[in-house]
Amino acid sequence: MAQSSPTDGAIIRRLFALAWRYRWGCLRVLFFQGAMLALGLAGIALTGLGIDELRHAIQPNTPAPFWRFGLHPSANWTPMEVIALLSALVIGAALLRAYLDFTYRIAVDRLVQAELVVALRAEIYEKLQRLSFRFFDANVSSSLINRVTGDVQAVRMFVDQVLLQAVVLTLSVGAYLFYMLSLHVPLTLACLFTTPLLWWVTARFSKIVQPAYRQNRELVDGMVQRLSENIKGMPVVQAFAREKEEMARFQTANDAVYDQKISIFRKVSLFSASIGFISQFNQWILLSYGGYLVIQRSLPLGTGLVAFAIILQQFANQITTIGTIANSLQESLTGARRVFEVLDTPAEVSSVPRASPFEALNGPIRFENVWFDHGQDPVLSEISFEVKPGQCVAIFGPTGSGKSMLMSLLPRFYDPTSGRITVNGRDLRELDLDSLRRNVGLVFQESFLFSNTIAANIAFGHPEATREQIERAARVAAAHDFIMEFPQGYDTVLGEGGVGLSGGQRQRLAIARAVLLEPAILLLDDPTAALDPGTEHEIAEAMDSAMRGRTTFLVAHRFSLLRRADFVVVLDRGRIAQAGTHEQLSRCAGPYLQALKTSQPGALPAMIGP
Amino acid sequence: MTKSLTITRKDKEEADPPPLEILVLIKRLFKYTRPHAWIRNGLIMITVVRAIQLATISWAFSAVINGPIARHDVRGLVLGSLGFLALCVFTQMTMRFRSFWALILGESVIRDLRRDVFAHLQTLTAAFYQRMKAGRVINRMTSDVEAVRQGVQEVIFVCTVNGGQMVVAGIFLAFKDWVLFLIALSITPVIWYLNRVFRVRLSNSQRRASESFSRVTATVAESIDGIRVTQGFVRQELNAEWFRHLVADHSRYVLSMSRTNATFLPLLELSTQLFIGVLLIVGSYRVLVLNVPIDAVVQFLLMAPIFFEPVRVVGTQFQQGLSSLVGAERVFRLLDEKPDWTDAPEAVELPCLQGKVEFRDLSFSYLPGRPVLHNLSFIAEPGQTIALVGHTGSGKSSIINLLTKAYLPTEGELLIDGHEIRCVQSASLRSQLGIVQQQNFLFTGSVMENIRFSKPGASEAEIIEAARSLDLLDLLEALPEGFETHVGEGGVGLSVGQRQVVCFTRALLANPRILILDEATSSIDAVTEARLQKALGLLLKGRTSFVVAHRLSTIRQADLILVLDHGRIVERGNHAELTAQRGIYHRMHEQFVQNTTVRRGGEG
Repeated sequence: MAQSSPTDGAIIRRLFALAWRYRWGCLRVLFFQGAMLALGLAGIALTGLGIDELRHAIQPNTPAPFWRFGLHPSANWTPMEVIALLSALVIGAALLRAYLDFTYRIAVDRLVQAELVVALRAEIYEKLQRLSFRFFDANVSSSLINRVTGDVQAVRMFVDQVLLQAVVLTLSVGAYLFYMLSLHVPLTLACLFTTPLLWWVTARFSKIVQPAYRQNRELVDGMVQRLSENIKGMPVVQAFAREKEEMARFQTANDAVYDQKISIFRKVSLFSASIGFISQFNQWILLSYGGYLVIQRSLPLGTGLVAFAIILQQFANQITTIGTIANSLQESLTGARRVFEVLDTPAEVSSVPRASPFEALNGPIRFENVWFDHGQDPVLSEISFEVKPGQCVAIFGPTGSGKSMLMSLLPRFYDPTSGRITVNGRDLRELDLDSLRRNVGLVFQESFLFSNTIAANIAFGHPEATREQIERAARVAAAHDFIMEFPQGYDTVLGEGGVGLSGGQRQRLAIARAVLLEPAILLLDDPTAALDPGTEHEIAEAMDSAMRGRTTFLVAHRFSLLRRADFVVVLDRGRIAQAGTHEQLSRCAGPYLQALKTSQPGALPAMIGP
Repeated sequence: MTKSLTITRKDKEEADPPPLEILVLIKRLFKYTRPHAWIRNGLIMITVVRAIQLATISWAFSAVINGPIARHDVRGLVLGSLGFLALCVFTQMTMRFRSFWALILGESVIRDLRRDVFAHLQTLTAAFYQRMKAGRVINRMTSDVEAVRQGVQEVIFVCTVNGGQMVVAGIFLAFKDWVLFLIALSITPVIWYLNRVFRVRLSNSQRRASESFSRVTATVAESIDGIRVTQGFVRQELNAEWFRHLVADHSRYVLSMSRTNATFLPLLELSTQLFIGVLLIVGSYRVLVLNVPIDAVVQFLLMAPIFFEPVRVVGTQFQQGLSSLVGAERVFRLLDEKPDWTDAPEAVELPCLQGKVEFRDLSFSYLPGRPVLHNLSFIAEPGQTIALVGHTGSGKSSIINLLTKAYLPTEGELLIDGHEIRCVQSASLRSQLGIVQQQNFLFTGSVMENIRFSKPGASEAEIIEAARSLDLLDLLEALPEGFETHVGEGGVGLSVGQRQVVCFTRALLANPRILILDEATSSIDAVTEARLQKALGLLLKGRTSFVVAHRLSTIRQADLILVLDHGRIVERGNHAELTAQRGIYHRMHEQFVQNTTVRRGGEG
């Protein structure tokens, strides 16, 4: 969310800290790389030796082969024997290198894919689940999904594509440089004098392209957002026959991504061509100057020019990986920013240290001058009332009056901006959050069910529940009969969001889910909204038994339900407008009576009559 | 238990369909390059040029070494090296266009793919969206399409360049020394064999990896949507544990993929090195014993990478190509997803409707063999209000699904103004149909834009007039920024009641001939509901309407009440007739009246 955005430096430091956690794995990988590098160089040197040996054998006036480290074959070996030995060594080095390569690749993927990515994904997911609702109100779901999937991969790139690659780059460039310098210092310098230019071009390129890539990511996000909305709203789109307009809207977003990409491509292709030219220019210098040196007899052809050419090629290959590394760095920084943003968002609502567990509810629940706002106009103001244990309080009010918000304060989905809510005389914030929520049973207006079996959905808050407990809860919620009508009964699998069930069935499962927990406090946020009159009647009685012995908060706008409450709190624009029993409120003028009149004109005289 | 259960269940659900033929996939993908033929053809030409260039450059380099340098000829060296430089400049110019055009082509293809998938999604019917999770569809449009792009941008052209380079280099080498060339050539079948063995393994693990990845995505999507429930029921730890297993499961697939890679790629590289070892000894033997000139050995050593590098590159590209094809396969599968039905080609465009609706001996089932409606027959005359009454699962929603042509009747006929519903164009029907459901979807944008959704050209005045005629104008104006109030995805930022107010106005604006109200007022508070009831009285006038409602007042005024039970009409008539029958409706009515008045009576 909108915290001051950290600098690149700070993010890189954090990424280093992340890599440090995997330092042993990284070291192992680097060891393999070092060994492979050495074997590769040995192969080149041995090949060069072979050529020189051969040339010397047929043209004795060329310089004698140059053996390193004081290793040389005894003088009585024939050239053919020496070459056979060299070739055997080349093959041996290649075999060993292939084996090391195999181990290396496995080690990297295990480190990155099996450890780092898994740990990171688990960490973000866990964090996401603890974040307060303000966070979810402020972020669209598609961007959050991306953070667990794509952005995590971008973060791990920092370890294998940036950090490890950079070390490998340094190692191999160092080794090649050493090797070349040991052959011929001026030739090395001449061949490499363009390298600073290469660095400069790369740096400039990444400066230009970095913001462009960032913008592209945002455009893609926007496009995915369009798509996701379209899919979720497909019934509406099709019902209003708006397919064509939706296609046009999507195409605009799609084209925006395309157009912006093209401008990036123009730069990328220019960049790669100029980098390629610089490395070929080096080869040209080698050919001209190195060739001249061979003609002057100050450089051997095989171990000198040919080996130099091969190494220079590999040197150039390594240097071009700078571009890739720079790209990966950018990508991993962007990803890391988005990942860390989630990890750093404080879970606004959390337990204080040494919070006490929720104990049996034997005192009242008290709202003491509670205010709440989202940073602008107050959503709730000056809310004070008290509910005795076992009582049922109904909240009534027009749309947008703050009923759902008031309910959200009890399980601490949000904390009051000022004032407090006490249970048994203790502030909710002093209680252990999990133990509080376990004691609050919830039924929402629109119930979300997970793609799982009916039994698992009912047992959502208590996964160890036995089948008997689940069935008992289902019976209380009048859900047992319709569940048994499915061929698989309680093992019927529900789709995403519980599709395949009617609104009423969904709601009954939600009630069963809440009842199963045997909560001390029951929150019913307009649970019968989705039910037809017949079912509402069944549920109403089921609710009576569920509410028995529990302190219940009930949002309702049906008078049949409101009448069941011990008293009714009438909200209007976030304030308590009226409070009292249904009977009291239906006798005095006010919003409650007004609503009663408009809703049941026919029934009214009977009530006012006596 | 829960976690393992979910994983296996999804495995079953996605039981691999037989993979599409690779050639078919490639052909189909190739079709997508047709609209960009000039870029594609230019690219093909330029890749050929480049293949020749790359081999020539390497040949020139070794020729200068073997010629002027070995002969100690300074003048020849100067000329040769200048020629080399000119070749370099030319190569990089080609390179620039090669990469630019390839990038453009890839991006164009996926833009078109996205467009087609999106357009196709609009034609799929409700049953598809019941099966397919939104997260999965999004995955097709993001990661899978991305994989296709890589294939088009990279794989095809990189492989062409490299293949060409190999051929040209091979020609040079064969001319130089055909014995050594044959040795080099003999390695290629080995490489070809390696390719074949690993192709099968890779493609399998690749498919499993990307399937398990979409499970991860779908789970995250669902967790975010259900966050309230998760936190309210303190399931964070359990879910996290569950998710960790899912991610670990995915990483297992990725690792099995990388194990295959780790075996395959080093082996390819090894073959080049082995060749150099063999070349050294065979070449030397020929030089020392058979007195063949030495320059062939040097030339082969220098050009070996040019000849073998393509094998390595193609090996790497091969993997990329596979994942592109897997991606393409998944995208095409989505494109091939047949709508459960489409408008018949001879379907007529409905004229302006009178609004007569007739169900004639109609039966319907979602799943074969499990009918939910049995032989329904009834007639709604133009302008009539039909109330549907019955318990959850009695078939009310199914009737509405049929009216909106979200599903087609299984048997019997549904006639609208005498037109059989199968023979009318869906769009012409839906444009004259208004529907307000209990949970309506709103789109990101302002309230104004959301209302205008039903009639794209509507002016602001029209919209305000629509709200006024429903007597909802003050409620909309009372929103924080009135009609300009921003609505988030799915209606975030508005209360359920406010959303419903928007949806009512949206439905009215379309001025439909047939109106469907599916428990539309149930989530609205009593005050707003009462006002909507009043306005709806006006709205229903002159339109044929189908009402599923909780409120008896609406039902009482209906011209025809259909009492449904398990998909059959058990009672029909108007309120007075049904009450007189003293049947199910009567009992329901009694119960309802009792509910609302019994305590009051006792107290009076």
